[in-house]
Amino acid sequence: MPKKYETPLLDELEKGPYPSFVKEIKKAAAKNDMAADELGQLEKSYRTKRGYWKHGGIVGVLGYGGGVIGRYSSLPDEFPNVAHFHTVRINQPSGWFYTTAALREMCDIWDKYGSGLTNMHGSTGDMILLGTRTENLEAVFAEFSSRGWDLGGSGSAMRTPSCCVGPARCEWTNINTLDICYEMTQEFQDELHRPAYPYKFKIKVAGCAVDCVAAIARADCSIIGTWRGPILIDQDEVKNYAKKGMNIKAEIVDMCPGQCISYDGNELKIDNSECKRCMHCISKMTKALKPSGERGATILIGSKAPIVVGSLLSWVIVPFIKCEPPYDELKQLIRKMIEWWDDNAKPRERIGELIEAKGMRSFLEHIGVDPQAAQVKFPRKDPFIFFKDEDFEKVYKK
Amino acid sequence: MDKEELKNKIYAFMEKYKGKKKLKEKDVCKGVAEETGVTQDEVKKALREMIDAGRLMYSYGGGASSVEIPSEEYLKEKGLA
Repeated sequence: MPKKYETPLLDELEKGPYPSFVKEIKKAAAKNDMAADELGQLEKSYRTKRGYWKHGGIVGVLGYGGGVIGRYSSLPDEFPNVAHFHTVRINQPSGWFYTTAALREMCDIWDKYGSGLTNMHGSTGDMILLGTRTENLEAVFAEFSSRGWDLGGSGSAMRTPSCCVGPARCEWTNINTLDICYEMTQEFQDELHRPAYPYKFKIKVAGCAVDCVAAIARADCSIIGTWRGPILIDQDEVKNYAKKGMNIKAEIVDMCPGQCISYDGNELKIDNSECKRCMHCISKMTKALKPSGERGATILIGSKAPIVVGSLLSWVIVPFIKCEPPYDELKQLIRKMIEWWDDNAKPRERIGELIEAKGMRSFLEHIGVDPQAAQVKFPRKDPFIFFKDEDFEKVYKK
Repeated sequence: MDKEELKNKIYAFMEKYKGKKKLKEKDVCKGVAEETGVTQDEVKKALREMIDAGRLMYSYGGGASSVEIPSEEYLKEKGLA
């Protein structure tokens, strides 16, 4: 297909050592009219400094309230092939493991019905297929579902849960992130496809506090693997790190948020009672340090990116919970969290915002979790636990 | 209450708010349950059957999802008109 548009501004983004999305769109544009018009409209946006996408509307597949995001061009006469340019979200497998055959199959379907452009992956975790027409949606869905795929979440719904690669590839994981993610996806199928919440709700599962899925910054409910035992130290390996030039004081001791590590130039010591389980030392001295003892997860609540109001980071709610199949305790806890949020939130209010507005106490009482020191986010700034009369009575009785 | 009757009540409830207010699934369940005296779970089941059959549909606008009466265009597109 001959070149349809001149794109001098976008061409600038192909220069330099980094991968370029422009280069990939141009490749797709060589054989797909939608991708070609997408390129033309994008160049115009760069030229005029205006966006030309309209978002939302009534698009989707029958019975589903999510998985398709309506997108229309506001310049349909100028760029007719992107007059409809809907996004389809496909629920990714846990940990984003695919066979090449599965990826080829997916791309073949998308070449047939869409622009051929994909985004691997969206920030929620889904495979994002960019650009198709309304009349193709049912056919796209039928093709994918007949091969065992399903749509992901969008709108005011449970969003597709996601997780890190966990035990499949990582020695640090404390929980089976892949299985937990799969189980949560199955547990919340109805809520994923039928948007009934005040706003979005995201679950992300990370195997350890390194948090490769950015759960602590993005997920309404973060499930982060942790351990209870001491950190085991191999002093010979510590010496090897020092011999190879690691500045253990600067890189490990001084960086410890619990200030619980000491090093006398010969031996490394850890006061495990003060350890915050942040993984910094373990991830830096992989051969010398490793966690031990009981494994489980820390549950955090309330993070979000800065849409509607400012961004929030997650807040520890349950410092340690056992995470073993069938994860009933975890599922019940999440359902209680959602119940409280659903009963109290205004439209487009995330659970973290509601906790800030209504208070942690009300939330903890509803989910049946006792207040604990580990939940304190800002010491001496915002105490959220106040004693009631019956608390004093208990003390007096003792 | 007979399920068809309940579905008609839900439809009437939706018509009442058409063009006036975006209704979430929960708003419909709550409102119809209050009007009819059936449980919210029953309303939810009936509502979902209506969505599956194309009598009602999910919509999205202003960042939030809602339930609506489908347009002629939507029904045609889904082969239901």
